[in-house]
Amino acid sequence: MIDETALKQILAAVLGVDAAAITADSNSDTIESWDSLRHMNLVLALEEEFGVSIPDEEAANITSYALIKLVLEELTAA
Amino acid sequence: MTLGADRLSALAAPGLSLAQTMKLVAEIEAEAPATVASLAISAGSTIDLLGLFLRKHALLAGVRLSVSQGQFDDPVGDAERFAAQGVEHLLIAPFFDLLAPAFEAQVGRLSPELIDAREAEIRARYRLAFQKGSGFRTIFLADFHRFGPPAPGGDATDVVLARFNAALRDEAAAFANVRRIDMSGLVAEVGRSAAFDPRFYLRNKAPYSATLLDAWARQVTALSRGYGAQFRKALVLDCDNTLWGGVLGEDLVAGVKLGPHDYPGAVYWRAQQVFAGLRREGVLLCLCSKNNPQDVEEMFDTHPDMVLTSDDIILKKVNWREKVENLREIAADLNIGLDSLVFLDDSDFECEAVRRQLPMVSVFQTPANLPAYLGVMEDIRSLFLAGGVSDESRAKTDQYRQRALALEAQQAFESHEDYLASLQMTVRVARNDAAQAARISELSQKSNQFNLTTRRYAVAEIQALMASDAADVWSVEVADRFGKAGLTGVIVARYAPGEVRIENLLMSCRVLGRGVEFALWAPVLAAASARGCVTLAADYRPSAKNAQVADYYDRLGLIRVGEADGAGRYAHAIEGLTLPPTPWICLVDD
Repeated sequence: MIDETALKQILAAVLGVDAAAITADSNSDTIESWDSLRHMNLVLALEEEFGVSIPDEEAANITSYALIKLVLEELTAA
Repeated sequence: MTLGADRLSALAAPGLSLAQTMKLVAEIEAEAPATVASLAISAGSTIDLLGLFLRKHALLAGVRLSVSQGQFDDPVGDAERFAAQGVEHLLIAPFFDLLAPAFEAQVGRLSPELIDAREAEIRARYRLAFQKGSGFRTIFLADFHRFGPPAPGGDATDVVLARFNAALRDEAAAFANVRRIDMSGLVAEVGRSAAFDPRFYLRNKAPYSATLLDAWARQVTALSRGYGAQFRKALVLDCDNTLWGGVLGEDLVAGVKLGPHDYPGAVYWRAQQVFAGLRREGVLLCLCSKNNPQDVEEMFDTHPDMVLTSDDIILKKVNWREKVENLREIAADLNIGLDSLVFLDDSDFECEAVRRQLPMVSVFQTPANLPAYLGVMEDIRSLFLAGGVSDESRAKTDQYRQRALALEAQQAFESHEDYLASLQMTVRVARNDAAQAARISELSQKSNQFNLTTRRYAVAEIQALMASDAADVWSVEVADRFGKAGLTGVIVARYAPGEVRIENLLMSCRVLGRGVEFALWAPVLAAASARGCVTLAADYRPSAKNAQVADYYDRLGLIRVGEADGAGRYAHAIEGLTLPPTPWICLVDD
């Protein structure tokens, strides 16, 4: 299982929002600042925090909290 | 010890994560250091993250830096716009592989004529950008470099790259405020495999890793001398294991390591050469050493391989007191600020104490790993000499003047318009081109900045609008003598009796600053008139990202007639509407 508090803090720091505002339903449509530029930073920050390397296809597509959590769980379980 | 100093030393720590960097930068900026500087980035690739690292290194230099991002690959427009806004520094970063799609891969097959034309275009464009930017305190010019790995022994790409860089250098030589950044050197410094992240390059044109951007920002900050906040005047040197190897009190004059030919003595001898060189450049040298003063005197007077002499040292604090105290005294004795001091010492303890208690002093540590000392010497040198105040740079100023005069005689392009005309741009505006529906939809999803209402369209919506009698979808393609830029703009027009209403106008950022946004209207208006429309109506709906087009319809010549649920409404009679002229664009209508 991944540390969801850490995950929310990363999202909050990179997207410039309050960690409390991040929920299981958050995605790039519900968070206005989550644009393609910030998304790149988000992928880099997630890789650093969780010590994983996110493959190319997933890097572009994980634009929701649920997907990020799923991908990180897969990568850290391996 | 203050909280601020703690945060600064955390920010300076190597290997800090991106999220932590963002958090710390935001927190320290909120405490607002007194000095504020401004810089704008004008890049031919996506390097927005460089802004974060520039702000980081500025904070480490005691400066709060505001960073603005320019358009994609528009150095002339950016120079003009940011100069008008009073921004102090401009960073221009073209990107070789994006001069045209996959330029590195195709350059070997291009004809010599086409390469010549490219070079001429680069010269003209950057000369104009430097001219428009002559009011900036500094223009940092990042040169061209390879994205892909170099071919063994070099290849055609290297040749063209070197030519284009020579062209940039040549054009920059006329402008005293341009400082070049050696990007190939930076890539080599962090290592090619660590410098790039191809994942985001292909999708977002973002080639660089955070590691490279961090190193880049550090160099810009050093070159700027902390954006003018820092003017380092004095170098304060420890003695043992900094000016010579070993401990004078134990090894005695005969036992310390120093000399031109042997290792490790030669490393210290070289260091003394570097410091003596700085002294000749006007840097004030001081000693701050825990030693018996008479031992150090003896060393200076009697060691045969000492490069520095007592005359080179303006102030000696050789005693057993705290170095922090000594540094305070040095600043007071010389009547300069503590922020003018650079401190070099081999001890973790001393360096840490000074960093914590005197964060305004620039601290360097003599590395235990001696080969790394060479890099530290170079960093110290560049900290003092960046900006250049020597005789050589005064001579260089004359060269600048001569070159500027030669340019004046040449007068290649007098204006942005002349430059644009040389591009031989064509704008093709197509009506309801069904083959483009998918790309039109995609552009409507992606485009944020030049997007008048931020209305997004699914492919099916675009197809339905194209098929409809009551609407038209116009797609805009731009080409110039160097090639096609592809689909760059979309207009969705809906017809009502007597009126054509522009539901949205959006453009890709690739071609901004060239007048395309004004040239594309003629066929749209002609079609509307043919249907019996007499009025052109349009809306601007502000979003978080489209402020740059807030006055677009004003500039187009429309009249603001009011507001309706958050959007500004514009209208004008089609007959009598005079569009801004764009004579440099050839409009192809089909």
